[in-house]
Amino acid sequence: METKSESSYKIGFSEVLIYTYRKMIKRNAFKYLLYILGFPIHLITLLFYRSKQKNDTYSSILEEVKASFIASGVENEWSNEYKEQYIRKQAFFNRQVKEQEMNEEIKRLMEEKLSKRVFEKANEISKQKGVRQLTYDTYFQSLLEKPFFLLLTFIPGILMYLLLIIYSNPYVQFIFERLIMSVFVIAGVSILVFTILYLSPFDSAANLLGEAATKEQIAAFNQMHGLDLPYLSQLWNALKGIATFNLGASFTGNEDVATSIANKFPITLIIAVFSLLMAVVIAIPVGIISATRQNSFLDYSFMFIALIGLSIPNFWQGLIFILNFSIKLQWLPATYSPQNWLSIIMPVIVLGTGLTASVARMTRSSMLEIINEDYIITAKAKGLNERQVLWKHAVGNAMIPIITVIGLLFGGMLGGAAVTEKVFNISGIGSYIVDKQFIPDIPAIMGGVIYIAITISLVNVLIDILYAFFDPRIRSKMKQL
Amino acid sequence: MISQKKHALKVSREYTQANFAWILSTIVTMILLWNSFSFKEGNIKTSVFYVFLIYAVFTSFQLFLTWKMKRDLLKYGEIQTTTRKLGYIQLFSIATANIFTAAFAFNLIKKKKTPEYVFAVYMVLTQLFILAISSFNLFKPYVTDSFIPAMGALMLIMVFQIIMLVLVAKYVQAGAAPSWMLIPAILLIITSLTGNLFNLLLGVSLIVKIRSHDQSRIIKWNTMWDKITRNSTAILGMFFIILLFSLSVCSVYTFDYDMAVENNYGALLQKPSLEYPFGTDDFGRDLFSRIIFGARISLLVGFASTLIPVVIGGFLGALAGYYSKRADNIIMRLLDILYAVPGILLAIAIIAAFGANTLNLILALSVGAIPTYARTMRANVLMVSNYEFVESARALGSSDFSIIFKQIVPNSLAPMIVKATLTIGGAVIATSSLSFLGLGVEPHIPEWGNILKIGSTYLESHSYLAIIPGLAIIGLVLSFNFLGDGLRDALDPRMD
Repeated sequence: METKSESSYKIGFSEVLIYTYRKMIKRNAFKYLLYILGFPIHLITLLFYRSKQKNDTYSSILEEVKASFIASGVENEWSNEYKEQYIRKQAFFNRQVKEQEMNEEIKRLMEEKLSKRVFEKANEISKQKGVRQLTYDTYFQSLLEKPFFLLLTFIPGILMYLLLIIYSNPYVQFIFERLIMSVFVIAGVSILVFTILYLSPFDSAANLLGEAATKEQIAAFNQMHGLDLPYLSQLWNALKGIATFNLGASFTGNEDVATSIANKFPITLIIAVFSLLMAVVIAIPVGIISATRQNSFLDYSFMFIALIGLSIPNFWQGLIFILNFSIKLQWLPATYSPQNWLSIIMPVIVLGTGLTASVARMTRSSMLEIINEDYIITAKAKGLNERQVLWKHAVGNAMIPIITVIGLLFGGMLGGAAVTEKVFNISGIGSYIVDKQFIPDIPAIMGGVIYIAITISLVNVLIDILYAFFDPRIRSKMKQL
Repeated sequence: MISQKKHALKVSREYTQANFAWILSTIVTMILLWNSFSFKEGNIKTSVFYVFLIYAVFTSFQLFLTWKMKRDLLKYGEIQTTTRKLGYIQLFSIATANIFTAAFAFNLIKKKKTPEYVFAVYMVLTQLFILAISSFNLFKPYVTDSFIPAMGALMLIMVFQIIMLVLVAKYVQAGAAPSWMLIPAILLIITSLTGNLFNLLLGVSLIVKIRSHDQSRIIKWNTMWDKITRNSTAILGMFFIILLFSLSVCSVYTFDYDMAVENNYGALLQKPSLEYPFGTDDFGRDLFSRIIFGARISLLVGFASTLIPVVIGGFLGALAGYYSKRADNIIMRLLDILYAVPGILLAIAIIAAFGANTLNLILALSVGAIPTYARTMRANVLMVSNYEFVESARALGSSDFSIIFKQIVPNSLAPMIVKATLTIGGAVIATSSLSFLGLGVEPHIPEWGNILKIGSTYLESHSYLAIIPGLAIIGLVLSFNFLGDGLRDALDPRMD
């Protein structure tokens, strides 16, 4: 029993490999990727293939047919035909017939025709005989069927097999492709931000060392921070630094950039996450209520308030909050201090207002769209009551686009945190970047911007992956692939 | 019968507008009441209290009108002529600058409203507000040399506009306009040089009706503007934007720029008064003039940093949507990189590299917005390029270039316009935010973010320095959002 199940598993495994291989080989990019990843195996199998090709039945049929064609003497017939055509053509265009050109043309056309005819005929014959045309890919697929071959080549071809395994499952394939894409995006972002800062006309050394700095001092500064290197090597250093979390020292204060960023990141993230929670808790119920009572006074008021929330600049709202709650009423502290949890309330509300407003508007429109769908009408017609329809059929589906929007807005919130942080005097990543930009302190700005972008990309990847599991539409679409 | 009348109440646009007007008017009245008490000293500020009383009168009258309309609709199924006549009384609320009740009154007195009538009404209202706001300069110790001639010209234009309003109300119908209106229409277009774009709209609208014999075109034009103008918030937003735009144009001649930028040590940190309606800042500069001149920068940066990405992003999106999968992939993947960096962060990085000034600010804000427009355009082009007219253009042998830019792009502009309107507000906020951080417009230029930055340091003692510019920003952004929502409802075919 045991051996049987094992062998069936093995057969299943190689079948999966072959199926995936066949699927992937159809697309050129994947084909070359497979060849490159499994280069050692492909090199050896290619040699075997070459030797096998010679005594392959299909190629012998091909040879035979070709010989028979040449022996039958149709070549002369074709040659005359082409010659006549050529002469007529030249006569039509009133041109001189050039002997040499004509012969070359005839020869080319003849070869074309011959190979085409031979191929057709050989295919016909091999079909009758039941012989399959042997190409490298079919040969490789037949090898994959053999467990012995798999065992033998598993170690050298591990990369190729891994790729095949990844692509055998649509979910894993999706996650893998999504991750690869975000790696490219992150690299692109790093190059973009570095290039922008590299092109800067400002001379950080002169700004920092003052006008009295000697040429030697400036040169020493540039050398210390690698600013005298050519563009590409600076870029390479920057990319390496970002990947290894080692961006070197900042221009001012001689602090380690990566450590500073790591110290300042948590508070920004905490505020952003709390704002997000606030937005979700307030906005989604508001959106649902608005949608279910479309065009009522409540709906109008909610949407009016949401629009105002969308139109308030963060810093102004922060100032008004400080004016009312800190200065006049003295309920909450005006500036943030880590020891006092009350001091986080105002920044969270200020940062979350815009998000809350957008999510409420989005929830409303998404719910309205869903409520008017046919399947909701069907559910109602079947006699379900309003609440069942709303909570079991509408809300879940309406949430799908909202989650995407939240993911995108979360990014915007991290980016916009700089303003809120400045108003409440929070030493987060946003105010760090703003403080550093006057010099401009290139490693600090670059690190800050890129790590925020990376965080946002990862959040979006996570959301996309969650989708693949939760959205039935995406699920069924992936199964069709 | 009863249900029919209830239906009449429900579909009556004027009744909805009446409700809208009294609610907003009440809010303004309440704010005035709140401000007429000074809580510290416990007494009443008489001047504000009088304004409150006048507002309260008109608000109560508005409530009465609303009640009367409701009764009319429930009793007769339509608004009676006597009720409409009462609207003429409510017209006087224009003297108190209550735009909500004034606009409503104009709506009430005319039974059959053409888009031209609405344009004409708002044209006159805008001109009136410009004149009223500019005439605050009369309380100043001196005015600019061009003040008197400029005000004279503006008043002449207003007389012309009022005549046009009467003529339009009397002669223009839904389907046609009399042909003798061509010359006034052209004059209106010329007077729109003052920045009052309602002139332009009215002029163009009249010319369309005079010149066009194609009824379907007129109907299309009417329905589109009808959808926008019946949306009270959208037209109000449009009014405020055009008012600010026109003020920024006229302020060149009616306001003294020196008041906004030159230090005046004799008038440091003055409280709001008639001479300085919004008070003065720590250099003695008149906040009122600064706010007016700040509108110019905000509008300029807002429009420019929307127009540039609309053109670039639209172009790239059109190419990506029209051409093969490969071109699409390359363009969109490259734009994904831009999309991964939040707009304001990218702007900070660009400004950090190239310095803080208005031009860099516009460019920095533009770059970050390209991908969103490209995505919108691409989605539209993908949809439109499957239509038959594209197929027929291709069959007629048009080149790809002319198919894209003559057939596809004009037919996929509507969502772009809506998106652009909705994002101008975002650009205005971004501009002032960056200025507040010291990364935007140069600090010596009166820009709302810069004004707020100064105000934030006087939060405790002179809070109006921070509150007023913020209200200006909110007003402008809210207007763009209202207008954008209205445009979306009017242009989005899904809503039909």
